[in-house]
Amino acid sequence: MSTSYNFTAYLIYLPVVIILTWYVAHTLFKNSKVFMLDIFHGKAEIAVATNKLFETGFYLLNLGFAFWIMVILENILDSRTMLEILSAKIGGYCIYLGIMLFFNLYLFFRGRRVSKEKSRIITPLPDLPKL
Amino acid sequence: MNTLAYILYLLITYIITVRVGLIFYRNGRLFILNLLQQDVPLTDFINRILLTGYYLLNLGYAALMLRTWDTITTWTELLVSIGTMTGKIMLTLAVIHFFNMAAILLVSKRNNHFINDKI
Repeated sequence: MSTSYNFTAYLIYLPVVIILTWYVAHTLFKNSKVFMLDIFHGKAEIAVATNKLFETGFYLLNLGFAFWIMVILENILDSRTMLEILSAKIGGYCIYLGIMLFFNLYLFFRGRRVSKEKSRIITPLPDLPKL
Repeated sequence: MNTLAYILYLLITYIITVRVGLIFYRNGRLFILNLLQQDVPLTDFINRILLTGYYLLNLGYAALMLRTWDTITTWTELLVSIGTMTGKIMLTLAVIHFFNMAAILLVSKRNNHFINDKI
């Protein structure tokens, strides 16, 4: 056990991944409240609730994925191999996280567009002439 | 070693399940309230039943997963197996969660008074 670097690799991998996920989720969902308010036409209660639900889902999905892929199958014997494997793992996870971030942003923009179109269709209705 | 892993795993899963469940319970109430046309007692009732069902499903699933556990001999294996199993549970939770949100969206689209109407 003392010759193998696997344990050290896990001890580095886990905090890095957790902090990374926390940082991304925190930044994304702190700023997404504006979008949510737009989507729900300024109804703050439901916007905050939806935001919280999405944030929890984001954490679950990404941390779950990070833990799921954490296993290193080979036996690491020197620090160079450990660094290479760790950087490949963390880099891959970063790319995955970036894709998820942009997917979420796309969802927010799309939701805002859809809700704007809907309100544009709905608002002219009261102006119709009465029969 | 396996016993220690089970204890740690069940502890982590329990904490995650309860915290996430409470978040869903608090924030999901509003949606059910909107779906049921502001019927408060029925909403609280359904919400509590949903929470209980969620706990049962998730903790039961977590306990079931113990059967598939490999024999552990070193600390490294302990860390890996706990991490992987917790990750699987969290992924399952996330999938169920997003499925639920999609269901709420579809139902509210069908009776359509939810997003567009002014409360």
